[in-house]
Amino acid sequence: MNLELFDIQGIVGRGYGKHPSAAYLLLEVESPALARRWLADQVERVHTCEQPPDPDAPCFNIAFTHAGLEALGLDAEALNTFPSELKEGMTEPERSRALGDEGGAADPESSPRHWDWGGTAAGQRPVHLMLMVFAPSEADLETTIAELSLLLRPGGLSLVRRLDTALLADQEGGVREHFGFRDAISQPGIAGLHRTTAGQPLVPAGEFILGYENAYGLLTECPRVHHSRDPDKLLPPAEFGTHDLGRNGTYLVVRQLGQRVRGFWQFLDAVSRDPDGAANPQRRVALAARMVGRWPSGAPLVESPTEDDPARAMANSFGFHDSDPQGLRCPLGAHIRRSNPRDSLDPAPGTAASLAVNATHRLLRRGRTYGPPLSTSFDPDEILQADEGEERGIHFICVNANITRQFEFVQRSWINNSQFDGLLDETDPLLGTRRLPLGRPTDTFSIPGCPVRQRISGLPTFVVVRGGAYFFLPSISAIRYLASLTS
Amino acid sequence: MLPQSTLTIVAPIQPAEAAMVALRDVLAEIGRDPAANPLLPFGDLTGLHYGRFVILEGAVDPDTGRTVASSLAFNCCVDGPADQFLQDLTAKAGSGLWAVFQHCSRAPAPGEHGDLLAWLRRHRIPTQTFYVNSLGRTVPQIQKEAQLRERIEGFLDREGGTTTPSTSPATVRREIQHFVRGQNDLAWAMRPEPPLPWAWRLRDGLHRIGGLAVGLLVGLLALPFVPLFLVLLRRSEINAPHPRQDPRFRLSQFDRRHLAQDEDFFIQNQFSVLGFIKPGLFRYATLRAILVVADFVVHHFFREGDLGTVPLLNLHGVDTIHFANWIIVDQGRRVLFLSNYDFNLEDYMNDFINKVAWGLNLIFGHGVNYPRTDWMVFGGARDEQVYKAVLRKYQIRTQVWFCAYPDVSAITIQKNAQLRAGLFAELDPAAERDWLTLL
Repeated sequence: MNLELFDIQGIVGRGYGKHPSAAYLLLEVESPALARRWLADQVERVHTCEQPPDPDAPCFNIAFTHAGLEALGLDAEALNTFPSELKEGMTEPERSRALGDEGGAADPESSPRHWDWGGTAAGQRPVHLMLMVFAPSEADLETTIAELSLLLRPGGLSLVRRLDTALLADQEGGVREHFGFRDAISQPGIAGLHRTTAGQPLVPAGEFILGYENAYGLLTECPRVHHSRDPDKLLPPAEFGTHDLGRNGTYLVVRQLGQRVRGFWQFLDAVSRDPDGAANPQRRVALAARMVGRWPSGAPLVESPTEDDPARAMANSFGFHDSDPQGLRCPLGAHIRRSNPRDSLDPAPGTAASLAVNATHRLLRRGRTYGPPLSTSFDPDEILQADEGEERGIHFICVNANITRQFEFVQRSWINNSQFDGLLDETDPLLGTRRLPLGRPTDTFSIPGCPVRQRISGLPTFVVVRGGAYFFLPSISAIRYLASLTS
Repeated sequence: MLPQSTLTIVAPIQPAEAAMVALRDVLAEIGRDPAANPLLPFGDLTGLHYGRFVILEGAVDPDTGRTVASSLAFNCCVDGPADQFLQDLTAKAGSGLWAVFQHCSRAPAPGEHGDLLAWLRRHRIPTQTFYVNSLGRTVPQIQKEAQLRERIEGFLDREGGTTTPSTSPATVRREIQHFVRGQNDLAWAMRPEPPLPWAWRLRDGLHRIGGLAVGLLVGLLALPFVPLFLVLLRRSEINAPHPRQDPRFRLSQFDRRHLAQDEDFFIQNQFSVLGFIKPGLFRYATLRAILVVADFVVHHFFREGDLGTVPLLNLHGVDTIHFANWIIVDQGRRVLFLSNYDFNLEDYMNDFINKVAWGLNLIFGHGVNYPRTDWMVFGGARDEQVYKAVLRKYQIRTQVWFCAYPDVSAITIQKNAQLRAGLFAELDPAAERDWLTLL
C-alpha cells in the first residue's frame, strides 16, 4: 500500500539531521478561535514526508495533547474516541506508578509533582500544543522563533515552555548522548517509506502511522468524528458513518529525561577500581559498555565483546540469540537488549516468530539531547573532574501508533521489569527504577560470565524524568479539520 | 511435593443495598493488607498459594432478559485437599469468614464453627478447568527455594570477587555447597524435594490412561456427528453478534482506571473476568465438553510450567501463569475465569494473542461479545485491539487478592527449583556449567 506522504508530518519519516538546531515550543491555547485561525495559517508551513526538507529553511511539525484538542474545540464524542492513554495522560496516577515515575518505585525527583512541565504540581500550566522547529543553524532558529513568537499572542496562544536542544556531535561526526555513547543507531525502518535499514527487517507502516496495516495485519483504532461534524469532508470517510481523524497521523511520547552524567561515571569509577584502590579506566569503560550493550563508539558488544571497535560503530544487523544466548558478550539486562530484544525472547528465540513479536514493540525515536556536554571529548576522566553545573539530558520523543503496546510496553515490561528474560532484582541499568512499587530493591546489574556471573549492587538513579506528555501528531488534513472547527 | 487443589465458594449476596455496601467495606478492609489483616490473615494459612474474593455483580442475561443476581466468589489455590484447607481455614479464621459471608443470603449464625463449615461446604462449587503451573510444587518449597537463591546470590556477591575466569565451575559449585552446608537454616536444601506420594501417582497414572481411553471411545462414537457439529458451529459463528459490528465497542470506550488501581504493585498480578455464555444449548454443551477435556489435558500434559506448548504442532505456550480457574456460575449462564500471572496485563494479553490465541478461542469463543472466531480456533483473539477491549470490558475488580510469593515470577520459581535440585546432585562438567548459569 502506498503511503499518503503528502498528508503525513515529516517527523515520522525523518529526524531532520541536516537541521542541527531545534527547539520545541510548548504552548497553551488561550483563545480557541484565534488559535484555530493561527493553525489555519500555519498548516501550509508544516513539513510533510513528501518532500525532502529544504536544507536552508526551517521545518515545522505540530502535535496536540488531548487537553489541547479539547481546548481547540473538538467535540466530546470525538475526544472520547482517542485511546485511553492519550485521554488520561502520562501523569494519571495508576499510569505513573506503572511507568515507574511515581510511587515507591520511583526516584522522588522523577515524580510528576516535581516536573518542570506537564506535571501535576498546583499552578503548573497546561500544555496544549507542541510546535517542533528545526533550523539549519542557531541563528536561523532564533530568527524563526522570534518571528513565531510575534504571532503567538495574536494567535491566541501563549508559551508555556521552550525546550531547547543541543546535538552532541563526536569527532567522527556521530551523534552522542550525554553519558558519551553513540546514539540513534538502531531505528526501525517503515515499510513503504524507508529502504531496508542495515539488515533489520522493515516494520509495517501501521506500527507508526494510523490508517495502515500494523504488525498484526490490522488497522490500529483511529480517533474519528461523526460525519455531521465534518460537513466539508476534510477528513476521509471511516466505518459507521464517521470520518477518520487519525489516518496519516500518529502519537508522540515526549519525556524530558535528565541525566546525572557525573553520577553515572562516579558510580562506574567506584565499582571498577583495582583491589588496591587505583582507578582502572579500561575496566570502567568496559563496565559502562556492558550496561549499554554498545561501546562508546557504538560498536555492539555481541560483535566486539572485549574492546571498542569504531569500525563497527553503526553495526546493526545482529541478533542476540545465536551468537550470545546467555549474555556472555552482551549482558541480558543491557540497555539495548532490554529496549529492543530483537530475537532473544519467546516464542522460540532466534526465529522469525521471536522477531515478529519484537516488531510489535518498536519505537521510532526522534528525540534530541539538551544541555552542554560535561566534556566535549566525552572522556570519563574529564567528566569526573568536571562540575555537573547545568541541567542536561535528552528530550526523548518517540513515534508510535499504539502507545500502550509500544512505548508503555517497552517501559514497563522490558525497561522496568525486574525479572526480564529470567533476570532477578534488576531493571534497565541506565533508565530503570531501583525499587518495585512495594519496596523490593531492583538496584543490581548482573554480568553473565564463566564460571559464574558477576553482580554489581547499589546502582543509583542515573536518569530522572523532568517532564512529559502524550501527544497526537495529526495528519495535514486533520490539522486543517481542527483549524476549521467552530465553537 | 503435594498435589494442589482449588476451592471455590460462591454465595448470593443479600439483595439489600446495605448488605452490598457493608460487604464492600469489609472486603476493602481485608484487601488493604490481605496477608496480615486481623479479620482474615491469609498469610497465616498454611499451604495457601492464592486467595481472592470477587464480587460477581448482577447483570441482565442477554439471552433470556432475566436478571442474574449478585454473588460473592471466594477462591483459594492450595496444597493438598481443598476440604482439609477449608476445615483449617474455618478453625483459624472462622470469625473473619463470618464477617464476610454474613452479607450473603441465608448466612450462617455467628459463632458456630460447625455451622459455618457446613454452610461453606454447601456453597462450594466445582472448578471446571484448573490449571497449575507446576504440579506438586508447594508454597513452602517455592518460598524456601527463593530464599536459597537469595542466600547463594548474596554469598556470590560477597565472595565472588575471588573467582577468576580460570576458576573451574566445579570449584565454584563446591564453594557454594560448602556455604550452604554451613548454614543451619538451609539444611533442608541438601536433600531433594520428596516426590509426590506413590499412591497418588498411581491413581493419577490410571486416571491418565483411563481418561485417554474414554476420550478415544467418545471420540469414535462422536465421529459420525462431526459434520453436523461443524455445520452448527459455523452457523453459530456466522450468526452470533460480534463486537466489530458495534460502533461503540472500541478500546477507547472502556475506562481502565478502576481496574488499574489494583494492578502492577508486584511482579505478579491477578485477573478476574466474568461473562455470559452465548445463548443456546449448542454453545453451552460445547463449552462444558471443552472445559472437561481442557481440565484433563492441562493436568496431564501441561504440568511443568508451560501452558500450550505443543512442539509437534509448532505451538509455543505461555510460561507466566501460576494458577487459573475456569468456573461455570449462575446456573450455567456465566463463566468466571480467575488467573494469577506474571508482569502486567498488556504483557499477558499480548502473550495470549501472540502465542495461544487458538486455546483462548476454544474456550472464550463461546462467550458473548467475543471477537468472531472461525472454526473455533482461528480468528478470535487475533483481532488484537478488539480482543483487548473485550477483555477489559468483562474484567471485574478483584476486591481481595493474596499471593504467598507475589514478587517471584513463574520462570524464577522454575529456575529456583532447578538451582536447588542441582545443588547437591551428581553433575557432569557440562551440567555443572549450565547449573551456574541459573545464578
